[in-house]
Amino acid sequence: MATDLRISNISKIYPGCVANDNVSLQFKSGKIYALLGENGAGKSTLVKILSGVISPDNGEVFLNEKNLKLNSPLDAKKNKIGMVFQHFNLFETLSVFENLSIDATEDNKSLRLRINEILKKYNFSIDLDVPVLNLSAGQKQKVEIIRCLLRSPKVLIMDEPTSVLTEQETEELFISLKKFCDEGILIIYITHKLKEVLSLCDEVAVMRKGKVVSVSQTQNEKVETLANKMVGQKLAKIKKKINISKNKDEIFKVKHLNFYSDDPFETNLVNLNFSVKKGECLGIAGISGNGQNELFQILSGEIITPDTSIIFRNKEIAKLNPKQRREYLMAFSPEDRISQAAVPELKIYENVALNNFKSSNFFEKGLVNERKIKEHSKKILSDFSVNTDNVELKSQFLSGGNLQKLILGRELITAPELLICYNPTWGLDVGAINYIHETLIKINDQEKSTILISTDTEELLKLSDRIAVIYKGKLSKIMPSEEVTPEKLGVLMGGGSID
Amino acid sequence: MSLDISFIGILIGSIMASSVPLILAASGELITERSGVLNLGVEGMMIIGAISGFALMVITDNLFIAIVGSMLSGVIISLIFGFLTQSLLTNHVATGLALTIFGIGLSAMLGKNFVGIPGKEFPILFSSLKESIPFFGPILFGHSIVLYFAFALPFLTNYFLKKTKLGLVVRAVGDSPVSASNQGINVILVRYCCILYGGAMCGLAGAYLSLIYTPQWIENMTAGRGWIALALVVFATWSPIKVLIGALIFGGITILQLHMQAIGFRIPVQFLSALPYLMTIIVLVVISRDSRKIKLNTPTSLGRIFYKEK
Repeated sequence: MATDLRISNISKIYPGCVANDNVSLQFKSGKIYALLGENGAGKSTLVKILSGVISPDNGEVFLNEKNLKLNSPLDAKKNKIGMVFQHFNLFETLSVFENLSIDATEDNKSLRLRINEILKKYNFSIDLDVPVLNLSAGQKQKVEIIRCLLRSPKVLIMDEPTSVLTEQETEELFISLKKFCDEGILIIYITHKLKEVLSLCDEVAVMRKGKVVSVSQTQNEKVETLANKMVGQKLAKIKKKINISKNKDEIFKVKHLNFYSDDPFETNLVNLNFSVKKGECLGIAGISGNGQNELFQILSGEIITPDTSIIFRNKEIAKLNPKQRREYLMAFSPEDRISQAAVPELKIYENVALNNFKSSNFFEKGLVNERKIKEHSKKILSDFSVNTDNVELKSQFLSGGNLQKLILGRELITAPELLICYNPTWGLDVGAINYIHETLIKINDQEKSTILISTDTEELLKLSDRIAVIYKGKLSKIMPSEEVTPEKLGVLMGGGSID
Repeated sequence: MSLDISFIGILIGSIMASSVPLILAASGELITERSGVLNLGVEGMMIIGAISGFALMVITDNLFIAIVGSMLSGVIISLIFGFLTQSLLTNHVATGLALTIFGIGLSAMLGKNFVGIPGKEFPILFSSLKESIPFFGPILFGHSIVLYFAFALPFLTNYFLKKTKLGLVVRAVGDSPVSASNQGINVILVRYCCILYGGAMCGLAGAYLSLIYTPQWIENMTAGRGWIALALVVFATWSPIKVLIGALIFGGITILQLHMQAIGFRIPVQFLSALPYLMTIIVLVVISRDSRKIKLNTPTSLGRIFYKEK
């Protein structure tokens, strides 16, 4: 039976922000629909409304002309609306089967049979009796999809499903989604990746600042046209010129980096060796959870590993803590802006003061030199075009992009010789990403070096001079980036080998 | 004193009796914590259970009403905790501490008129078998019904958590309340139920002290057992069977060191008194070394306030 989903005049207002402004859309089964927009455009709010997690201030949802009252996730379930969230809604410590059985109404035996049927039909291979925390991101997503399929959904909503997947996993996902679509499931695909829209979807709705700004057939669209609709202005293209200077000095050299942990949530690192030259950007690719966290913490000095040698500007720094490493002109930008890089409850200038040096005189005789820190902070805000000049503002009120600019600014204003960053543009919108990328390229142009640990292949190919892939705690050989293609990276990130 | 076989049987029987309040309170708290709620009010709920059980016994002269009433009083006082932490989103640690202080104060006030009143004898089961079978008699028979219940409880709790649907829901809520809520589980309701159940078990643990173990009311008679129960849950890494083992070791060494003191071992009394705490921690740490299992058993959201999006 054909499915027809209609959203009519949905509005949702949060204090100080209109998340959805009179949104009306119509979807019919047999097609894959894209909902495209930057972060904060209101996509997530809309899907949360459709899945009953939050309720709209205004507006109605119709499924086959029946007015749905979606007051809780249960209502969405009852009406056969399935949802795969961007941040998985799984119970990490429970087994796959327990995760799937938690809201099932049938007994375990017949449920297991039905799950096995689905696994077979769509060619998924997942062990049902291991805890979810042992699964890769791709497998976790499959568990989420199976959970939806068990309820034979009419509508399947996917919220940014590829943000944690490899190229291969993405392809597999697309094949599955096309199959679901052929079987009559209406698919709504939420993303900010333009290429995915063009390769997968039939129709695309673009959202900006809570409003639907365009609905069109994807065959009439190109990457550029969609990007301009999404951002609302023309974006400058940035391109880096590759540094092919073979005889430059090595500024940073890591030897025999090993890390062993008892914690099942952590990855062991096995004998990593690499070096970075002056003015170079070394990219480290990989799917999250393959040891990037541990690598970043070891490079920044949060974890000290025995028998590792780290030479930086001809000095052995392997035993130094992060503060001491900073004194040697290293700088760090961790993945998690909120909990690792900045303290959201503190004011901007207080966050700036966290990164203090002997030379910066932020503190005198144990007292805070507020005037000095504020001057310094103002300079960061203006130099790195953070969207405020109020240094008294609490950092939690900055958007992700502005917070990242502030953090990078704090790290870069001391003119470090080496910047190590981990997913610097994670979760940011196109405008902010562009700015961060420009900044990172500028660093290399000034003969300073960077190590870019990232899960975003496109970003790595754009910014790196050389690229290596980390998989299950092991590093692939380091390749010049002109020899690397997204396909090659995808194979290595999935544990395969090339040549 | 001769260490003959029947004496050892009696000794084991008394060790079992002394572990009952710990098993009851810790099993209740275990369910509460498995749902992600950290209730530090165990001591307070126990002492309220102790006084209300004893007071009801004196007033009604009915032990059944006394036992049920003590559990109800545990439920009521834990309801305060539930309302504050789940509905008003207060901090679990601070609220739990306040509950303990409140419970101790309230019980002392309510108990003023009950000090010095002798308790009533609590019926014991199979008392004839206790005398007639050497060694096993005093271990297996001649206990109150509450003791048998307490020793079955860890196994029931284990079965509940691992094999039943509701147990799965409790574990899921403790693992990730946000995911559970998005799956349509009423997180607040599940947590309320777990808190109230924990309160009932703590109330029963208190009543065991004032009605069965030492049948009388003494101010502050729980004497820190609530804190031990709390520690047991953590050191047993949220496994009901290990809670039972821990409670028995604690009870066992408490009794044994008393005998050692009586015999006059040349070991400082302070060291002997510290021994139960020390040994329980050492044993539980040794049997729960598997960090993988700890990760899988630990309720990830323990003590975190859950806020439902609107």
